[in-house]
Amino acid sequence: MKGVLLSGGTGSRLRPITHTGPKQLVPVANKPVLEYAVEDLKEAGITEIGVILGHKGREEIQDLLGNGSDYGVEITYIVQGNPLGLAHAAGCAKDFVGDDDFVMYLGDNILKEGVVDLVESFESGDFGAGIALQEVDNPQQFGIADVDDQGNVTQLIEKPDEPPTNLALIGMYVFSPAVFDAIEKLEPSWRGELEITDAIQLLLEDGYAIDSHVVEGWWKDTGKPEDILEANQLVLEDKSLKKRGTIGDDATVDGRVELAESATIEDGAVVRGPVSIADGAVIKSGTYVGPYTAVGPDSTLEGVHIENSVVIGESNINTSGRIVDSLLGKGANIGSADDFLPEGRRLVVGENSQLKL
Amino acid sequence: MHIITHACTQCGTVVSANELESNRVMKCPGLDCENVLRFTDLDESDQEHFLDNKASYEL
Ligand SMILES: [Zn+2]
Repeated sequence: MKGVLLSGGTGSRLRPITHTGPKQLVPVANKPVLEYAVEDLKEAGITEIGVILGHKGREEIQDLLGNGSDYGVEITYIVQGNPLGLAHAAGCAKDFVGDDDFVMYLGDNILKEGVVDLVESFESGDFGAGIALQEVDNPQQFGIADVDDQGNVTQLIEKPDEPPTNLALIGMYVFSPAVFDAIEKLEPSWRGELEITDAIQLLLEDGYAIDSHVVEGWWKDTGKPEDILEANQLVLEDKSLKKRGTIGDDATVDGRVELAESATIEDGAVVRGPVSIADGAVIKSGTYVGPYTAVGPDSTLEGVHIENSVVIGESNINTSGRIVDSLLGKGANIGSADDFLPEGRRLVVGENSQLKL
Repeated sequence: MHIITHACTQCGTVVSANELESNRVMKCPGLDCENVLRFTDLDESDQEHFLDNKASYEL
């Protein structure tokens, strides 16, 4: 079994964060989303991973993952170039995959239970493909699968008006090499892409059994800022958090807190977990860091009350204001306007930023 | 769709035909690989197929 990890896409829904880097590298609980995928594949015993690169952020992704040795895997890069759809991405991996089965994992997705069960379910029978499904409340907005009593997929329908089930396809698949013949037969859809669901539909029509596995734990597609915040909550909720950094005698630290070795919580600061604080970060006196916050590397927080937020890193936040439900890009700085006249906010804000004041 | 790719003979990095064609000559995007990749590294039949169907390989 091999792994194919999709790391292309424009990340347009995560602007301005993605103006300077690929969406797969946005950190959740201080770890890039893409790393969770590599670790999930490794956990499922998959050590040969093809990483599909689009136009954006190739070098950053290669810088992070390298040849895979840091993760105990072997990485082959596959440059897709034009984003012609998931089935095109899979098709580009044909030579890499060869005669093996492979897991296809969307690099901006994150799921609690990993892919071990999906792989085991696929391997328990003779299937052309296996798909991961999750029950959703609004099946009209998803690709939906109809399945029989054994969990075999009988039909796939894109955003149905009258959904036969509430089982939505999430971005995890297992394929046999038969999928490459199906992809070869595909034509681009109305949106000009080779659709992976069309490839699975063709496998069905060609008589292949398609396995399904219903994912019970949470799953997040981290395409939008609010998804990043939610994924950050979910991961912090589950992760084992260790305090290895320095905590001042007069600092107040409650609940589960991850404090990296070179991070500091100074006297007079209050941190209430679950929280993750990365290397080189300093939480100064008079600061409150509340639940579900991740403070990225080399950030300094002074005086601020911050909660349910992701500070990606290298930020200086020195204000008495309150920050909630926020995603701050790398190097974003927030100071105080208290002593300035005329009174008012002072902003230097990049393209596509979103502020609520 | 016939998906055409080329694997670098030095490092195994795979590059799709649309990427090769838009660059014509490119440094291999593999890590620390100095190999040069060309659209003409593809089989002649693949080159021809790509050029005949170029529109479908563009978004
Ligand atoms: Zn190379």
